[in-house]
Amino acid sequence: MIDVLLSALDVRALSKTFVGGRALDEVSLRLKPGEIHALLGENGSGKSTLIKVLSGYHRPDPGAEIQIAGEQLQLGDSASSFQLGARFVHQDLGLVETSSVLDNLAVVVGFPTRFGTINRRKARQRALAALAEVHLEVDPNILVSTLSPAQKTSVAVARALQPVGGGAARLLVLDEPTARLPEQEVELLLSLVRNVAQKGIAVLYVTHRLDEVFDIAETATVLRDGKKVFEGTVASLTRESLLQHLFGTSLEKGGAAVVIAPTTNPALRVRGLGSESLANVSFDVHPGEIVGVAGITGSGRDALCATLFGARSRDLGEVRINDQPVPAGRPTSAMELGAAYVPAERKIQGAFLELTARENISIGDLKSFWRLPILRRRSETSAAQTWFDRFEIRPSTGIDRLVSTFSGGNQQKIVFGKWFQRQPTLFMLDEPTQGVDVGAKGELHRCLADAARQGAAILMSSSDTDELTSTCSRVIVLRSGAVVAELVGADINPHAIARASLGIGTHENAEHQVVQNQDLVHQNDRQQSHMHTDVLSDGVLQELIQNVAVREEEQHPS
Amino acid sequence: MRRFPRSFGFEKFSGVYLWAAFIAVFSVLSPNLFATSVTLHSVAAGKAVSAILALAIVVPLVCGVYDLSVGANINFTTIVVVKLLTKGWSIPAAVVIGLLVGAAIGVVNGFIVVKLKVNSFITTLGTASIISAFQVIVTDNRQPLPPTLPAWRSFTTTKVFGFQIIVLYMLVIALLLWWALNHTPFGRYLYAIGGSPEAARLSGVKVDKYTWLSLIVSGGLCGIAGVFYGSIAGPSLSFGGSLLLPAFAAVFLGSTQITPGRFNVWGSVLAIYVLATGVKGLQLLTDVQWLDPMFSGVALVAAVAIANGRQRSGDERRRKKLSAERNNLPDPQPSMS
Repeated sequence: MIDVLLSALDVRALSKTFVGGRALDEVSLRLKPGEIHALLGENGSGKSTLIKVLSGYHRPDPGAEIQIAGEQLQLGDSASSFQLGARFVHQDLGLVETSSVLDNLAVVVGFPTRFGTINRRKARQRALAALAEVHLEVDPNILVSTLSPAQKTSVAVARALQPVGGGAARLLVLDEPTARLPEQEVELLLSLVRNVAQKGIAVLYVTHRLDEVFDIAETATVLRDGKKVFEGTVASLTRESLLQHLFGTSLEKGGAAVVIAPTTNPALRVRGLGSESLANVSFDVHPGEIVGVAGITGSGRDALCATLFGARSRDLGEVRINDQPVPAGRPTSAMELGAAYVPAERKIQGAFLELTARENISIGDLKSFWRLPILRRRSETSAAQTWFDRFEIRPSTGIDRLVSTFSGGNQQKIVFGKWFQRQPTLFMLDEPTQGVDVGAKGELHRCLADAARQGAAILMSSSDTDELTSTCSRVIVLRSGAVVAELVGADINPHAIARASLGIGTHENAEHQVVQNQDLVHQNDRQQSHMHTDVLSDGVLQELIQNVAVREEEQHPS
Repeated sequence: MRRFPRSFGFEKFSGVYLWAAFIAVFSVLSPNLFATSVTLHSVAAGKAVSAILALAIVVPLVCGVYDLSVGANINFTTIVVVKLLTKGWSIPAAVVIGLLVGAAIGVVNGFIVVKLKVNSFITTLGTASIISAFQVIVTDNRQPLPPTLPAWRSFTTTKVFGFQIIVLYMLVIALLLWWALNHTPFGRYLYAIGGSPEAARLSGVKVDKYTWLSLIVSGGLCGIAGVFYGSIAGPSLSFGGSLLLPAFAAVFLGSTQITPGRFNVWGSVLAIYVLATGVKGLQLLTDVQWLDPMFSGVALVAAVAIANGRQRSGDERRRKKLSAERNNLPDPQPSMS
């Protein structure tokens, strides 16, 4: 047993209950000074709640005891957490991009002043000292916006580690520090983390990238459904066992994927597509096909559909829709060629929240309601009502209500209505069912399948591997902007998608997989009710926290 | 419960009630001065130009673009038209030129906003100053003499049903804009752009084109208003600036009326006249000089506060509803924590 006083962090019997359920259940966690401890868990497993309890943001249920460097943490008191030496660097670093490194460092500790004027020299010395702590050699006067992503993270860490009021940092919590980093910068960040640990600071490292766990962490804790399911040394883990801990045993097989033989010319033909987030992407989508796009955040998955449609700019390559070349960055041209695009950011890019549902649905197709001298309100209304009925949008009499008054799932259905109204031949969808409850999700999937059966081509990018598994006839997997795998038929399962997304080799034998798959089919229901199993495939905690919160909220359409 | 019963249309037509209240109160307090057809006609005609100017603000504002140059624009076109008339141009020719000058200013505003991507607030603040500089160049800061043609004055002051015809012009313009904003794709696109420019772009709306167009319409309306002002009131070097804020106040106040939450034509016209009635009534009762700016300023701030408050209470209602569902409460009640 390690002496309690030697622990940098000692968490015991930590539970946290929210109105919706229990986020943490009797969790314990112990870190020695200088230890790098990976905290792992799928989306919604309770990692973020744990971190928020440590930072004093959440007050845990009675009975919990948390000590930082041997001192009792005043639960639910962020000042106490800070004073005891707990420091946090979140995925969103919280740096002011338009200010200098120096200013960013100084806002936390205060500017040294003389007669009320900032003492630049002293401030600079302090900044340099703070940067030296993280081995970052940049001029403190340059703007944060000019730094590389890894350098920015270093600045955020330097800022967190600065001694404030004599209290030194004892525990550094890094929340998905590599989620937004390009591949080549990850190594820089890992060496930074090692440096921090060598100073005797315990590091709690939250990540979804399994490689990093084995690279950097000595010990790990895995949470699942708010419970600790593993605690031990990383050396005792294999990738396979880690996946088991993360997912439980639930690696189920693909569901209703149907392979449709490409019969005609492709509806979408992409060759050598390149941009700031995509590299030489080529693939086809044929009429009648539902092709999925998978990949972790930052893989280019979230940029692909937008780039093809023209919502984002493209620099290289050729895109053809129904054999016609599509000019870059011109959504109207793509639409004229029969394309539809449902963006991931529904509230900003998808829907017009302050317009009525009717106006949202007709906006893409106004010409068909326009007979001089006026827009035909009656035919517009009946068109909107058609999609309300078809997608079972609730309230069903709400076509003249503002979209902002609908629940998230119904808003998404209204966005779908807008595009179906145009009868497109190519659907490009980003996170098409985010925030949509299970029933509505199935309904949208059915409508997409119907559209495919009637000859539409569908390209669906999603962080929800279950969704890809159950709807797609083919899945392309992106990593670092490039297509690294194309899965068809039985290969479409969350396990294979996760492996390809993370770049883990598939060396297990087929027999093993089949057995595993059969065992796991019955887990399906549990997973569905659990909403979100995209964990590894996507791996961004923040996204997750938000998504889960939003989804839970939107599970109950009015 | 601070909500008004919706069945009386209080939310949508509170301005009408307020107007009625103003009229009733002032008619009682000053029956000999206020409740007369002279007052009616002078307010109606006197605020017609303001109403058109408010409409010039509404059109770009619907798509989220501020046009602060309307005041300078109307003033400049008035001066240009009057100058041309005194040089012997015919009235129709001068009117067309006035319209074109106003629209040309809109074209320039549009170019800066759409092509140079300058924030519309900054753009039109800047062009307003530039226009007033041109006005000095044209006039040498000497107020031009009003044209002497009798037809010029009767162009706006001919009586129709007892009202000066400018009131009719204003109503026709309002009708046209109401049609354009509410019953044509043009209007739909503007509202969509105002809702979310990015969502509009991704729905195939030509955002740049319509944004630009809205500023041209705005400029053109200022041109027309400038012509009317020149006819009904004669040239002045500084009236434009003083019309700007009341017009904005009316537009924002108008956005809480008829179709609450949206900038709209009839709400703006209504607001212009409600405010004018209030100011007129008070002016007849007292002789203080500060009523007009006080009314406009209070109206502008109050209108935006009302709109925001309505938005917040709507959000709060939705939140409470979700909270009630989540906690299986029978009625929307505050959640525990």
